[in-house]
Amino acid sequence: MTMNSFKYIPGESHYVPEQAGVDAAVAKFKTALLHRLKRSAYVYRIDCGGCNGCEIEIFASITAIFDAERFGIKVVPSPRHADILLFTGAVTRSMRMPALRAFHGAPDPKICVSYGACGCGGGIFHDMYSVWGGSDKIVPIDLYIPGCPPTPQATIYGLAVALGLLEQKLKGKNHVEEEGEGAELIHPQTPLDVRVRIERQARLLAGYKQGREISDRFVNLLETHKLTSLKRHVQEWLEEENDPRLKEIVGQLEKTLHATLKGGSRSA
Amino acid sequence: MTQSAETTQNKPNNGDLGAQYVADVRQRFPAAVIDEERQTRDQLTITVKLEYLPEVVEYLYYKKGGWLPVLFGNDERTIHGNYAIYYALSMEEGEKCWIVVRALVDPARPEFPSVTVKVPAAVWGEREIRDMFGLTPAGIPDARRLVLPDDWPEDLYPLRKDSMDYRQRPAPTTNSETYSFVNDLGDSHNRIIPIGPMHVTSDEPGHFRLFVDGENIVDADYRMFYVHRGMEKTAEVRMGYHEITFLAERVCGICGYAHSIAYANTIENALDIKVPPRAQWIRTLLLESERLHSHLLNLGLVCHFSGFDSGFQQFFRVREKSMTIAEMLTGSRKTYGLNLIGGIRRDILETARKNTIALLNEMEAEVITLIDMLVNTTNFEQRTKGVGILDRKVARDYSPVGPMVRGSGFKRDVRLDHPYAAYASVPVTAFSFDSGDIAARVMVRVKEFFDSTAQCRYILDNMPTGPVLTEDFAYKPYKYALGHTEAPRGEDVHWSMTGNNQKVFRWRCRAATYANWPVLRYALQGNTVSDAALIIGSLDPCYSCTDRVTLVDVKKRKVTTVPYKDFERYGIERKRSPLAK
Repeated sequence: MTMNSFKYIPGESHYVPEQAGVDAAVAKFKTALLHRLKRSAYVYRIDCGGCNGCEIEIFASITAIFDAERFGIKVVPSPRHADILLFTGAVTRSMRMPALRAFHGAPDPKICVSYGACGCGGGIFHDMYSVWGGSDKIVPIDLYIPGCPPTPQATIYGLAVALGLLEQKLKGKNHVEEEGEGAELIHPQTPLDVRVRIERQARLLAGYKQGREISDRFVNLLETHKLTSLKRHVQEWLEEENDPRLKEIVGQLEKTLHATLKGGSRSA
Repeated sequence: MTQSAETTQNKPNNGDLGAQYVADVRQRFPAAVIDEERQTRDQLTITVKLEYLPEVVEYLYYKKGGWLPVLFGNDERTIHGNYAIYYALSMEEGEKCWIVVRALVDPARPEFPSVTVKVPAAVWGEREIRDMFGLTPAGIPDARRLVLPDDWPEDLYPLRKDSMDYRQRPAPTTNSETYSFVNDLGDSHNRIIPIGPMHVTSDEPGHFRLFVDGENIVDADYRMFYVHRGMEKTAEVRMGYHEITFLAERVCGICGYAHSIAYANTIENALDIKVPPRAQWIRTLLLESERLHSHLLNLGLVCHFSGFDSGFQQFFRVREKSMTIAEMLTGSRKTYGLNLIGGIRRDILETARKNTIALLNEMEAEVITLIDMLVNTTNFEQRTKGVGILDRKVARDYSPVGPMVRGSGFKRDVRLDHPYAAYASVPVTAFSFDSGDIAARVMVRVKEFFDSTAQCRYILDNMPTGPVLTEDFAYKPYKYALGHTEAPRGEDVHWSMTGNNQKVFRWRCRAATYANWPVLRYALQGNTVSDAALIIGSLDPCYSCTDRVTLVDVKKRKVTTVPYKDFERYGIERKRSPLAK
């Protein structure tokens, strides 16, 4: 069994592992496996230092609701039975050798999948002293399933791609900025400081998502109607939604609006 | 199995707590205390002379009803020229508060008297201080490396501020595992069953060695920290205060939210930030929803290990409802990315509130049926009653947490002992059982599941109004405090010290299972090999344990490898032992 060697990076007292190689014959078989695997695919999971988030989502993928076994995807207890190796985690120093043993234990040809944000390049831990920074640092990876953690849907999709059941959809678009093109301003008719104060207040009350939604709706009403009829339109909106919390938030926004308008007249 | 329950009462207490403990320490050890400093109403730090450290910790632990959830080092040479070590004691008999015992260690003489000799609960913490700071606990009975990998060079201590660039990756010193496993109770005639570090059904890697005589487990030892990712170092070198709430979620993919809150609480306590009540209630709701999915997960796995696989699938099916709740309330199946220092990032509006209540009701109804099926399965009773007993005395010595300690007759629960978030206003019940076996731990989780659903409904019906975030505070350097949450597996205790560069100076994170591992050995001793998977699973750390089992017959010098499947099958069927071959 060959284990990886290490490359020294001068000047940084820093080492990087060299990836376990795949010889040409195996690579050829692997392409065939990717495209012509007509039977069930066996998956072996190798945790190289994940936080369990990925592991639990893999669990969710193979149990009753998502049931990856519908597609013949089965998690097996030994790497010797596996067609697909699923590497999670940023590859900690302690897991390098066990992971390599599992890699060499699985028969060729095999498909290696890097699973989760940490698997795909080390994630948040990418440059830390105690990890090697992703599964492709130690073994050749054929497919990446990103996400923190990937959802069961993403997991099944990724494995289906690995099996050639689906072609991976990659969409690329190269946008070239035209003459005079710029980012659109939101609510251009509302004075900036009014909009900012309202939105800031809404975010403190309802968080970044609902806060933005509520403040956008409120400022829209402000722009489409006169200040005098704003109260009536706000009332209609609140009655339609029938949500006591929304009522409280919008009530606060109205106060903020009026306070800002008063303050604005003073500074003008 | 006798059961008892304790419910929260709103105890109005505006005074500062813990002064009496310090007075007692001063009286008992007149020359010991150098300094005392209060962080919050219920957190006090006393600095003692190094030579008195073991006695003071022992006194507070055994004589004053303290427990030792966390201890850690801190490289404070840039502040006052010394290292500091902290032993955080949770005082739970009498006045409930935190007393942190601190001692300074001179860099010229990097060692301190080990507390482990007097209080066994300190063992892992002291080994970790040695690994990460190079401070030697003099006299510690177990001086093996704990956290750092076997291939890490000696004399390179990651958490010393000046020892290394955080990105430095030294060449591995070895390609093989060098950890020596301990078999105290048996002898060299015992067969050794190594389990792990990779295993099929589960999450994190760990390596167990069972020393067996025939079918009986004589002793057990384990090597953890295969997933040491350098989290605490990551936080202090490249994160801002807010980012660590997201990093803390990655401590554990199951109870990450509890870590996030525990960390946020450390900073909020240190800087005395008043988090708006609505944010506290939503935090509490999410903490409880995390408990729902975590407990269902463990109940499912208990089914799996006791050979009741349809139960396993059913629990996982129902568990998806709690994942739907999480996704609806936070935008992610993992309640990730929601916390900030000073509040949270999302509110709960009416539609989400109603849908959550509907899902809670559906889930509860289904779980009632499933639990009924589970406890009435004869196999379940046979496999869990009287198995994997954690003795009450061992529990007292090692400070385990969560269902583990509550199953052994202690009603420890930081939600009640040191209320945080909105727990002082939400009815919480702590359940405990005396039998100390797997059945007790399972029943604690069952009771807590239903208690959590009740809490979630109470919160959704009574949520206060107002903002969900405050930005009304400023960071001050070198302030520190503890933060804690009762995660599904037990209390997570964190400690942070703010720095002077918009980063934490030190963040210490102690996950629940860290406190439970040291007692596992005692729960395994005297049981049979076929129960090992179930006992380890009842800790709720990792579910199954092996990818393969190597049997080493010491007498014949013969090694047989049995596939994991056989081991697991034997665990379920308990027939045709792989050891009999």
